Amino acid sequence: MGTMSLTDYRVGLDRWLDDNAAELVPAAAGTLDDDMAHLSHVRRMMYDAGWMRWGWPESVAGYGGTTLMRAYLGEALAARDLVHPDPYCMAEVLAPTVINFAPDLAATMVPRLIRGDDTWCQGFSEPGTGSNLASLSCRAVRVADAWRVSGQKVWTSFAQYAHRCVLLTRTGSAESAHRGITALFVDMDTPGISVRPIRTMHGRDEFCEVFFDDVPVPIERTIGAVDGGWAVAMDLLPYERSTSLWHRGAYLRRRVGELLAHAGRDAVAPDELGAVVQQLFALRARSRATQYRHADGEALGAETSIDKLLVASTEQAVFDLVAAALPAEVLLDEAPAGARWREEFFYSKAATIYGGSTEVQRNIVAKRLLDLGADR
Amino acid sequence: MMDAEVIELFASSVRRAVRQPTAAEVDLALADIGWREALATEAASVVPVLFSEQGEANSTSCALDDVLAEALGRLGEPDVAVVLPALGSVAAPGRLDGQELSVSGLSTARMLAASSALVVAADTAGQARLAIVGTGSLVTTGIGGVDPALGLLRVDGAAPLDAECAEPVEWPAAVAAGQLALTYELLGATRAMLRLAREHAVTRIQAGRPISVFQAVRHRLADTLVAVESSAALAAAASDSIGTTLDTELAGIAKGYVGRMAAVAARHCQQVLAGIGFTAEHQFQAYYRRVLVLDQLLGSSRMLTRTLGERLLEGRLLPDMPAL
Repeated sequence: MGTMSLTDYRVGLDRWLDDNAAELVPAAAGTLDDDMAHLSHVRRMMYDAGWMRWGWPESVAGYGGTTLMRAYLGEALAARDLVHPDPYCMAEVLAPTVINFAPDLAATMVPRLIRGDDTWCQGFSEPGTGSNLASLSCRAVRVADAWRVSGQKVWTSFAQYAHRCVLLTRTGSAESAHRGITALFVDMDTPGISVRPIRTMHGRDEFCEVFFDDVPVPIERTIGAVDGGWAVAMDLLPYERSTSLWHRGAYLRRRVGELLAHAGRDAVAPDELGAVVQQLFALRARSRATQYRHADGEALGAETSIDKLLVASTEQAVFDLVAAALPAEVLLDEAPAGARWREEFFYSKAATIYGGSTEVQRNIVAKRLLDLGADR
Repeated sequence: MMDAEVIELFASSVRRAVRQPTAAEVDLALADIGWREALATEAASVVPVLFSEQGEANSTSCALDDVLAEALGRLGEPDVAVVLPALGSVAAPGRLDGQELSVSGLSTARMLAASSALVVAADTAGQARLAIVGTGSLVTTGIGGVDPALGLLRVDGAAPLDAECAEPVEWPAAVAAGQLALTYELLGATRAMLRLAREHAVTRIQAGRPISVFQAVRHRLADTLVAVESSAALAAAASDSIGTTLDTELAGIAKGYVGRMAAVAARHCQQVLAGIGFTAEHQFQAYYRRVLVLDQLLGSSRMLTRTLGERLLEGRLLPDMPAL
């Protein structure tokens, strides 16, 4: 493919999104099922039109060019409320690491992901392993030419829709900690896998428990080195804290704009609104700089914990503002708009918990960025 | 824009300049390194450098006068001071009723040495006009207050007006230029507070261990770094926007946010520094005094935050954000 500047991409994409709005705008009041189906539909349309392929390497059927195009694509989709940002971002979180550590596998699988054929999930957390990833115990044992996986994952977003899972397994001894972990790429339709969605307070059952009962996984589905899964996880976590947060910031801005458009005359406290908008600007400035560092080939690391802390506090500030301004809608309204505010208000409570809690992020900042040494 | 190497060269000269003991000596050193010439041609590059270094060094200069004079198109006259709005406010410090000018505002120490002052005054129709006033017709009073080292003055007075000088000016643009400079000074001071608190945390031994091992201390410092780095990113976005349609709005948003984050940082750092940070011997209090006053110059964070919200509720539309 030829080259494409970010400006040309932006102009062309915006025009295409306008021209195709009728087919891209989701039906109102989508369930999670509807949202997931709509995401696949949007991905397929955008892949066929080429927009989904820019910014991905040619090795995975991309057109190459700066990753800023991917950042802008997610921003544009979030700002127009065309797809839900959480499932959309799974590709940004998972694919780059699979490309880095398993290029052959990525060449087959990533095109299916970005085209909307497949959904992926991230099998990291376990019942006994929330923030302490190195203690995970879901076991993979080598038997002849395959791994056999047994154990459990939890908080696995969209597992009930997923065709593939990037799974962290214990391949070393129980005491091997971060040295005995191996990452696998697992087909979710393999016999022995069962998925149970968790009912949550916000009512959108995206988080699941996933059970593995002697599940066979071919050896060639190993991501990175055997017992080298920690490096895979450490490569992935900064992606979880970069482009997806840029998209989330665009989405939060959209929702504050909708609050402004709909709230009654005296419903919003000006000082609180001003503070939230300042925060949105600070988040955007920080996240924008991160997108540029990533696009310039800089390895992202612990400093992305700052981005994560910022997005979490901003998200809660946004929906606390919403709850204060629209109590009748958030608390009582059964109509779709009210139900959505309520769902988002509750979901914002998770922003300081998932993806490494605020406490874990602060620990990272203290140790790695402030160089405060070990914590005991 | 200057390239990175030239900026670093300028920054190292500025670091030496701001270590001079008095504002007058800092100003002389800045004159030696060509600060005003650089301001005239490279404001977006040099304002962040000078003001963040000044904030970090807890130093004082009259460079804010230069920034405002430049924004008002009057940088060419070295012996001119600029009257700042009253504490907390962004309103023009002058009132113009016919030929009668009244002034009530603040200034840096430059007012004491200057022969004339730039006064932006709102006329009866609300139009901002620039008056040049002999300092002899103004009454300047030293303000000790919370931060005597800043050398802030109260400026009052009334003067008959030379009408030729009362040309219309873009006061919001001048305010924005000053706000951006103060944003960087606040940022520098906030970084310094974090540096002091961090140094204390890793050296202060309690129960046989440095207090930096305790999670309560670590998390306060981590939150302070988030405040600092998000402030730095927003300040850079405001600086990068100079010359675009976003610049005036972004300067106010940045100063409001960075002022609030300075208060957050001060609270955390004071607590980490505990007893030693409460003494007059420790540097912390000098920075704390400084950010309390800087926050009030050219619009307090409280006022900027509230008026931003009021404006958005009026227009019911969010301001544009810097594009990717």
